Amino acid sequence: MNKSKIAVFNRRTVLAAAGAATAALAAPRILRAQGKELVVGGAASHKNFVETIIAPVVEKKFSCKIVFEGSRSLVNLEKMQKNKDKQYLSVVMMDDPVMIPAVAEGLLDPLTAAKVPNLAMLKPGTIHMDGMWCNYLQPWLGIAYNPKAMKTAPTSWADVYDPKYKGRVILPSLQNTEGLANLFMASFLATGKPMPEAQKDIDAGFKKLVTIKPNLLTAYTQMPQAYNLLEQGEGFMISSAISQVALERKAAGAPVEIAVPKEGIFAMPSGVALVKGGPQPELAAGYINEMIGPEVQAKLSAATYSLPTNKDTPVPAGAPTNATIFGIDWKFVADNRADWVKRWDRDMAM
Amino acid sequence: MTTKSAPSAWRDPVALLAAPAVLYLLVVYAFPLLWLFMKSLTGPGGLTIQPYVSFLSDPFNWRVVGNTLRVAAWVTVVCFVIGYPAAFALARAGAVLQAVMLVSIILPLSVGAVVKAFAWQIVLRRDGIVSQTLVGLGLWDEPQRLLFTETGLVLGAANIFLPFMILPIYSVVKLIDPRLSEAGATLGATPLYRFTHVTLPLTLPGIVSGVAFVFSMSVSMFVIPSLLIGDRFQTLATLTGRSFLLMRNEQLGSTTAVILLVLAVSIVVGSTWLARRIGGSQT
Repeated sequence: MNKSKIAVFNRRTVLAAAGAATAALAAPRILRAQGKELVVGGAASHKNFVETIIAPVVEKKFSCKIVFEGSRSLVNLEKMQKNKDKQYLSVVMMDDPVMIPAVAEGLLDPLTAAKVPNLAMLKPGTIHMDGMWCNYLQPWLGIAYNPKAMKTAPTSWADVYDPKYKGRVILPSLQNTEGLANLFMASFLATGKPMPEAQKDIDAGFKKLVTIKPNLLTAYTQMPQAYNLLEQGEGFMISSAISQVALERKAAGAPVEIAVPKEGIFAMPSGVALVKGGPQPELAAGYINEMIGPEVQAKLSAATYSLPTNKDTPVPAGAPTNATIFGIDWKFVADNRADWVKRWDRDMAM
Repeated sequence: MTTKSAPSAWRDPVALLAAPAVLYLLVVYAFPLLWLFMKSLTGPGGLTIQPYVSFLSDPFNWRVVGNTLRVAAWVTVVCFVIGYPAAFALARAGAVLQAVMLVSIILPLSVGAVVKAFAWQIVLRRDGIVSQTLVGLGLWDEPQRLLFTETGLVLGAANIFLPFMILPIYSVVKLIDPRLSEAGATLGATPLYRFTHVTLPLTLPGIVSGVAFVFSMSVSMFVIPSLLIGDRFQTLATLTGRSFLLMRNEQLGSTTAVILLVLAVSIVVGSTWLARRIGGSQT
């Protein structure tokens, strides 16, 4: 089903480029799709919720067809770069760190309240760089733990530094997006500054972070490995863990829980943006508007174990309600990440 | 060992048989390699050796080079110590047993490195079989973890690369006439003398290719260290992978790749030359 959609779409572009539309069998579907087909680029992992939650709502409302191309954030960026003069994507869903180069290269059109009225309903801090993109979900970062190995749940980000967990703590590598949270939290714990300032004090963060080394089982780059270690009880905690991943493992029956530390949780980036020069600008704005509207938000946040970004949408069952949510300054991250990874290699080496 | 045959190998028509392989390697290996090399030498302002200077002037990178070579050397040693006698057992076994042994050596190759690395993760755990055995034997006072240690990495990698040590040695041992050693014995040579002066030199070509295989594979392994030791132990291969995949820094990636290649090739060629010399002087 999905394959045939993509096949039709590919044929369409090929034919359009050749300037000939004589493929007899495919013609009726091509003609119908020509006016009202919206191509959305996103990550492969988005495919399920786009097609089962977002697409039905948008297709019904605008009587159009959504074609979802799932790959990776960086691949979407490349697709936009290569087709700069003749875009075929109208909407992109990418991680915030990848939005920054897309903005810098002028590949995105800003979202405005006129085009996307539901922007007014978004929580503070979820619209970035003057509306170049917004967050449609907030998967959150807490501490995942194995309840069989740890009788009491961790309550603070400082717990992972406790000497009684020697060799039992798993961290994401700093090359993984979720790994950044530990660096910022280390600085927050060490300096006591508010998070927006603390996340700029990277030196303090590293000085605190190295003290975790005796407790460190490993720093992973492959997430399934980390969960494997946690579920087998070799590791007790993953700091920090993505809610979506941890709660999916829990739902599958694995001994995994995710704790909301008292200091707060981090919001992970899930951005959506308009492609500049995309073939369907109005439909694209409508898609984004529905995505952040109450109906889709409620279903989407429950299905992905994430926080909604629409402030009127209730937090789904099992998600933290009153926790402080820390945002991440992705521009600052993009400008400095290579240096941080370099320092991480040196400071955290065994 | 050093055959002084065919005065002009170039005019030998048999050499033409290598043409498909040569063509293939030129296209898929030599040209891309050249391109990689040029990439590492091309800066924003044209030709430069700056990437090499800045890489080699950083003491941390020397540690990375040290990690890479040390682990590869240990893996090669472990494979040799286990593989050399195994190759003899294989070559001298009866037909049925030999078939069983060959299958059990070759079949695990079809299980990918990722699966094996995951299996080792279970074996090397604190409550894994290695730890429990050592505690049971009284060698360790309490269970310890080998996972995410250099020892664990060497053990896991040696397991994965072992067939590449056994098979080349086996193919040479198979061809040795057992009567040579017996002849030595009739002339009064002790078993040790016979081994060091007859058997070992004869198996040297097998050892050389086994060592070259295992060393060059373990010096450049990427998946195995990332699963068995993690992000805290960088090697040239993991640094190269990260430069291309994460940092999108093609210049750094091609620089480390070229350094890795030069080191691996010079060590393999150097040790081959040395082994041939030693072998030659003994025969």
